This record gives sequence, structure tokens and C-alpha cells, in this order.
Amino acid sequence: MHVLDIPPRLLAFLLLLLFLELPLMGLDIYTLGIFVTANVFAIFAVSWDLLVGRTGLISLGHALFFGVGAYASALLFKYFSLPLWFTIPMALLAGFSVALLVGFPCLKVKGPYLALVTMAFPIILSAVIYYFAPVTGGEQGVINLPTFFPFPNYYLRKLAEYYFTLILLAASSMVVYKIANSKTGIVFVSILDNELASKASGINVTKYKLLAFAISGLFGSLAGAVYAHLLTIANPPTLLLTISFLPVILTILGGLGTIYGPIVGAYIYYILNSYVFKNVIRIPPLWQIHIVTSFLPEINSPIYTDYLMLLVFTAVVVLLAIKWPRGTARLVVDKLKDLEEAREIEKRARKRRLNIRRSVDKLQAVFKGSKKKPEPAPKG
Amino acid sequence: MALIEAVLLSGVISGAIYALLALGFTLIYGVSGLVNMAHGSFFMIGPYAFFVLDSLFFSLFPSLGLSLSSLWITIFALVVAAIVTGIVGSVTYRLTMHYVIGDDVAILVVTVALAIIFQQLVLMGFGPSNFPIPTFLRESTIILGVTLTQSRILAFVVSLVLFLSLWLFISRSKTGRAMRALSQDREAAMLMGINTGRLYMLTIAISAAFAAVAGIFIAASSTGVANPFMWLEPLALSFAIVILGGLGSIKGTLIGGFIIGYAGSTVEILLPQGGTIITAVPFVIMVVILFLRPKGLFGKRIEMEE
Repeated sequence: MHVLDIPPRLLAFLLLLLFLELPLMGLDIYTLGIFVTANVFAIFAVSWDLLVGRTGLISLGHALFFGVGAYASALLFKYFSLPLWFTIPMALLAGFSVALLVGFPCLKVKGPYLALVTMAFPIILSAVIYYFAPVTGGEQGVINLPTFFPFPNYYLRKLAEYYFTLILLAASSMVVYKIANSKTGIVFVSILDNELASKASGINVTKYKLLAFAISGLFGSLAGAVYAHLLTIANPPTLLLTISFLPVILTILGGLGTIYGPIVGAYIYYILNSYVFKNVIRIPPLWQIHIVTSFLPEINSPIYTDYLMLLVFTAVVVLLAIKWPRGTARLVVDKLKDLEEAREIEKRARKRRLNIRRSVDKLQAVFKGSKKKPEPAPKG
Repeated sequence: MALIEAVLLSGVISGAIYALLALGFTLIYGVSGLVNMAHGSFFMIGPYAFFVLDSLFFSLFPSLGLSLSSLWITIFALVVAAIVTGIVGSVTYRLTMHYVIGDDVAILVVTVALAIIFQQLVLMGFGPSNFPIPTFLRESTIILGVTLTQSRILAFVVSLVLFLSLWLFISRSKTGRAMRALSQDREAAMLMGINTGRLYMLTIAISAAFAAVAGIFIAASSTGVANPFMWLEPLALSFAIVILGGLGSIKGTLIGGFIIGYAGSTVEILLPQGGTIITAVPFVIMVVILFLRPKGLFGKRIEMEE
């Protein structure tokens, strides 16, 4: 499908170039930070979308991989003092294995049951982490993790992180894209479409489902590990339900079942969040607006804008899920596709009219040439 | 020996409250096929509504010249809070879930999103820390050698009464029969002239009200606090119970509730530091059951076999 007649791969390449150029146009450290976060969570959302949008395995517990990636890398560093470039691939391996492990019970269940089972895992892991608090750091988590670019200059560090995460995002999405367009990817889509038919066609559905889990877990834990090292902390909030739901928001904002969808969604979310909401005036607590409140005690609830942001975005997700389940970017793409189809049809119609015209002329020439009674132009 | 009795009686009361909670969940699933991930949110809203109404009535009634004992005001607040939550549930359903009923993925996304929305709303209104909920009937009596607060006893009694009333309603009344019909075959029910939309709204109102009652009892009689994040645990509990008992079966829910209630209190009392992992227990049970026997103990649709 061509957007404005540009092949999609070229378009992606151009966008990548644009983003590579972006900091050179003079972005401040705050904006760079937004992009860094967006990149990391875009990787996370892409991994989720592969599982849910492309293979149809509804996962509401993706935070599991995020947490596994974060904690694997952190604990390896804490107890074995292994360097970054070793712990992160190990974290990927951990994510891969955990995903395989977790995939087994998920094979037998479908729909809401699957969503629940996946929701259960991060909670169970979270409980385990709290239970073994002396080992895992409990509530506090593992702190003082090494960061990627220990430059003294904060701006340079953010810049390096920007490029690093951008490259990671580009590489991950390339890999996922390649997978999606390979035989494996087609099998995934067939499982999404009709699992029974796939099985009947001889496809080893179990193997491919586990594969989907594994790849998804790999990239999910990549996001988690990178995030942990960017923040230098790996703690229990990485396993929260809100983290599990984040890729849902991002993907639905952008477009379910695509590669670009989650990425677009991540950018929309973080950019809107940072620019629009940080400038919103502080809203007083809801109850203060109510009339009959003189009896309610004073409550100090400081972080309204953060709460409001999540609220609004989730509400938007609800609206989107009801009206346009395929996401906003998809909506744009679909509209463009419709436009393109309309153009195609127009073109073909014009060609056909031209052909008809030509045949009519030829026939007329034949008949006129033999000086016979001029036949009326044949209908057609 | 008092320990065993304590565990037994405590488990029975917890079991009844949990069963009430899960009943709402299985009811809405049985009747409409809707997996309501926001069910825990109704559990959470109940205590907060209870607090607001309680404070409201305490300051309002004397000025209206009504002098009721504080207990009756509190009970009245409880009832009204449950009804209000039921209405909230109904309206929420009509505005959102009504449009996505057939679609499994959309339903999950929408209901989880709603749960988060409710969480944020309460967070913005009442703050993130534990919020004190007015307690009532704090005096204890001794039954079978175990000290129990009267509010816990009331919770048990109320749960059973509600269970019974619901059972009677479903098996005897016309609307109840409509609900059973819907749970058996949605299209045939529609052909019989049953207004599905309205019935779903009623069902979810009952479901939410029950969840709110459970929430109020647990918050007011056991923990004394409520927080905006306490919707996840009841959701997990509801699921575990319902899956254990079998989605759509009322009898299964009752039995499942008691089993899970006992499992919880056993783990809490017997395991060292059991308190930390107690949140995970219902989830572990759920995963195990889904793995071993996904159908649960009993059937699939609301069955009224007696």
C-alpha cells in the first residue's frame, strides 16, 4: 500500500532520517527526554502488538516482561557485577524464556480467560519479589544501576540516549517487520483469523503461539531492561497493571495489528502528555467543587495533572475502542487507501471509456468505408 | 484449638462476602456474556460512596429534625450507597459496554479502561493514600468460643440474605425468568420480546450493588480503609471464584467463594509472612484451575437446578 505513492519502506527510512536530524535542530534536554521515553515504550508497545494485534493472543499482563527485563538485568548486575552489554542480552534471554514458560498455560485458554491468566502473572511475580525482599530489594527495588552513557554533561547524555533508543526502536521494528512479513508472520495472522482453520491446515498452532509469546517477551524485556538502566532503578512498579495497560493505550491510539501503529501511538501519547497536560492549570480536588462538602475533611492531593492525563487518555481509548477499534493511525491509513482505490477506479473507468470510444470509431470507419447504410453506433 | 475455630468462622464470613462479590460478576457474565473487568471498581466505589453519604446524612438529618440513632443512619447510608453504585454501574454500562457487547477484545479493553478511569477519578477526588471509612458495630460477641465483631456477623447475615433474595428473584419473578432466558439463548429471548438492553442494565445494577455491599463490609468491618487501587484484588478474587465454580453457575459461585475464602485465611494464618503473598493466592488458584479444569466445578450458564 502506498501512502501518497511513496513506498512504505522508503517512507519509514525518510522518517528515520528526520528523527536522526531532529536534535540537531536544537531540542532541549526535556524534549529529548520525552522522545527517549516514547522510544522505549514504543518498543514495548510493538512487542505487545505482535502478540495481540497480529496473533490474536490477548495479553493484559505484558508488564511481566517489562519487569522481568528490568529485574533480570538489575539482579545480574547486583550479584555478579556483570557489565551492561552482558546483562542486557541476558535480560533478553530471560524475557524469552519466561515468555515460553508463561505461554504454556496460555495455550489452552482463549478470550477473557487468556486476558486474566496473563494479568495474573505480573501480580504473582510481584508477590514473589515482595516475599523475597532481602534478595530483590522489595519495595525499593534494585538501585544504582549503571547507566548507558555516563557522561558528565547531562545534555550529551540525553542526546546519546536519544540516539541509542531511536536506533534500538528502528532495529526492533525492522526485526518485527521482517518477522511479520515472513512465513511466520503469515501464520500468526492466520491464527488471529481462524485458529481452528489453521490447525486444520496442518499448522502447528502450539509452536507458533509459543513463538509469538517468545518474540513478544524478548522485545518486551528489552524495553524493560533499557528502561531500568535509563532510570538506574528496577523496582516493583515495573509490574503494575498500569504498565500492562500502557501498550493497549498506545496501540489503540495508533492502530492495532500494524508495526507503525504502536510507534505512532507512543509518540502521540508522550508528546501530548508532556506538552498539553503539563500546562494545564491545577484542578482542585473534585469534591471541593461540590456544594455539600463542608463536612469533608481537608485532603491534599497534589498530582492532579498526572492523574487527569491517564484518565483522559483512557477515556479516549474507550471511545476509540467503541468507534474505531483499529486505531487512529489505521483510520488515516484506511481513509488514504479508500482515496487511492477511488482514484484507481476512476483511472480504470476512464481507460474503459477510451477503449469503448476507440472500438466504436473503428467500427464506424469500417462501415463508412464500404459505403453501406451507416449503421447506428453499436451500444456498448 | 481456638485457632481452628477462628480460622473456620473467619473463613465462613469471608467466604460469604467474597461469594456475594463474585455473584455479581457471574450474574452479569451469565446473562450478557460480558466479562466485566471493572467489577472490582464497583467494589472500590462502594466504600467511598458510603463515606460521602454517611457524612452527608450525619450532618443533614439532625437539621431536618430527624433524630435517628447513628447506627440506623449508617445502615441507611450503606443501602443508599449500594443503590447509588448500582445506578453508576448501569449508566456506565449504557454509555460504554452497550456498544461493544459482541466483541471480546473490545469488551476487555473497554472494561479495563473503565476500571482505570474509575481509579483515576477516585484518586483525583480522595487522594492516593488509604482513606478511613467509618466503621460500625465495633462491639464483639463471642460465638462458639471465637470473638467476632458484630459488624462481621452482620456482614455474614446480609450476604446470605442477599444471596437468598437473588435466588428467589431469579427463580420466581418474571424478570428473573427473563434473565434466565437471556442466559440460555440471547436471540431466542429477543424473539420472545425480552428487551435485552434494559435487562442488561438491571443485571449490572444488581451486580454493582452487590459488589458495593461487599466492598463496604470489607472496608468498614475488616480493614477500616479504602484506597483507589483496591479494585484489582476483588476482581482477581471474583475471577478465581467464578472460574473455580464455573462461569455462570450460581451454586458454583457460592461454593467457590467459600473455598477461596478458606484458602485465603489459611494461607494468611499458617504461612510465615503470609500477608505479603496473600494477594497472589487467588491468582495462583485461578491459573492452576484454568490449566487443569477450565470449566470449573459446575456448568456454564445460570442453572437453577435445585
